[in-house]
Amino acid sequence: MRLEKCWFCSSTIYPGHGIQFVRNDAKIFRFCRSKCHKNFKMKRNPRKVKWTKAYRRLHGKDMTQDSTFEFERKRNRPERYDRNVTEMTLKAIKKIDKIRVTREAQHHKMRMKGKKAIEQEAAIKELENSINLVKAPAALQQGSEITLPKIKVKVSQSQAVGERMEE
Amino acid sequence: MATRIQFENSCEVGVFSKLTNAYCLVAIGGSENFYSMFEAEFADVIPVVKTSIAGTRIIGRLCAGNKNGLLLPHTTTDQELQHLRNSLPDQVVVQRIEERLSALGNCIACNDHVSLTHPDLDRETEELIADVLGVEVFRQTIAGNILVGSYCAISNTGGLVHPHTSIEDLDELSTLLQVPLVAGTVNRGSEVIAAGMTVNDWTAFCGSDTTATELSVIESVFKLREARPSSIVDEMRKSLIDSYV
Repeated sequence: MRLEKCWFCSSTIYPGHGIQFVRNDAKIFRFCRSKCHKNFKMKRNPRKVKWTKAYRRLHGKDMTQDSTFEFERKRNRPERYDRNVTEMTLKAIKKIDKIRVTREAQHHKMRMKGKKAIEQEAAIKELENSINLVKAPAALQQGSEITLPKIKVKVSQSQAVGERMEE
Repeated sequence: MATRIQFENSCEVGVFSKLTNAYCLVAIGGSENFYSMFEAEFADVIPVVKTSIAGTRIIGRLCAGNKNGLLLPHTTTDQELQHLRNSLPDQVVVQRIEERLSALGNCIACNDHVSLTHPDLDRETEELIADVLGVEVFRQTIAGNILVGSYCAISNTGGLVHPHTSIEDLDELSTLLQVPLVAGTVNRGSEVIAAGMTVNDWTAFCGSDTTATELSVIESVFKLREARPSSIVDEMRKSLIDSYV
């Protein structure tokens, strides 16, 4: 049993799932579900289909080059079984997975960096331009504040505790 | 010594076994008869390994090997690959090949020094063969057939080829391979030599349908006959005796 990768979307194909297509030139195409299979039959290029890993890698949405990917290569020259090596390998697999996940999260963070600042700027601009949708022009003339004033409400200690208990 | 055996009532022993000078691979059968024939012959000399390739029993036609290495098709599962690596001695390099033509036993005929391959084999595969098996590679056909691995059986001492091979072809192949060749049949006239028999430097196994004539041809070309003192002297007289007084 071997966990293969889907040719179209690059997800893992578990036993009992998907379809394998063998072309006349003996190239094997494995698909994880009929969605990928049907897209393949429509001759769609996975590099142009937004939700596939191929697209995401190509357009820099996901990590491309990393040393953790080297460990998952298919090996054609096996080594003699050694119990210690196997034990170490199993431990290493877990660790490598963790490292890869953290690196991918870091990549995502880097990609999304500065998004908040841009969103804030865009929000301020929109507020300035379209304040007429929120506050009537007459009200603006009275006081040109475009934000609501803050109101402080005093709450006694016993009341606050009582609310928490009810929850 | 050439022996006649059967694999589950089939005479195509070369399909279900792979014999080399360093190891022997045997298919997994219902009864142990086939395996025990090889075990009886090779008990302590070379390892006899029961295996499957890609979940099938036709291992002799799927893999190609000699004492230096073993080449397996890309359809071999990881577990089978690991089993072979664990069971074979360390000098034998076990390698899985990504190749369009996956029946390597039909495409590659080799002994320990030289090999004949299917003319359409990839260049990378050819390099791998030269590297893993440590042989010189020749792209050839035998009697017009491109499946060289199935129409000839060669060992370090001799070779048997398709019966319809012309004499010129036979001479050409003989000079390439540097072994004496004979065009003959196996299993009562079957032309597919390598499927009907399997051979190494000191033993041969043929299908039980092989006639006595075919068997004697095999024994003489692969030099398997019991060495009697007189026969040795007869063959080596010219080299032993310098001059007659």
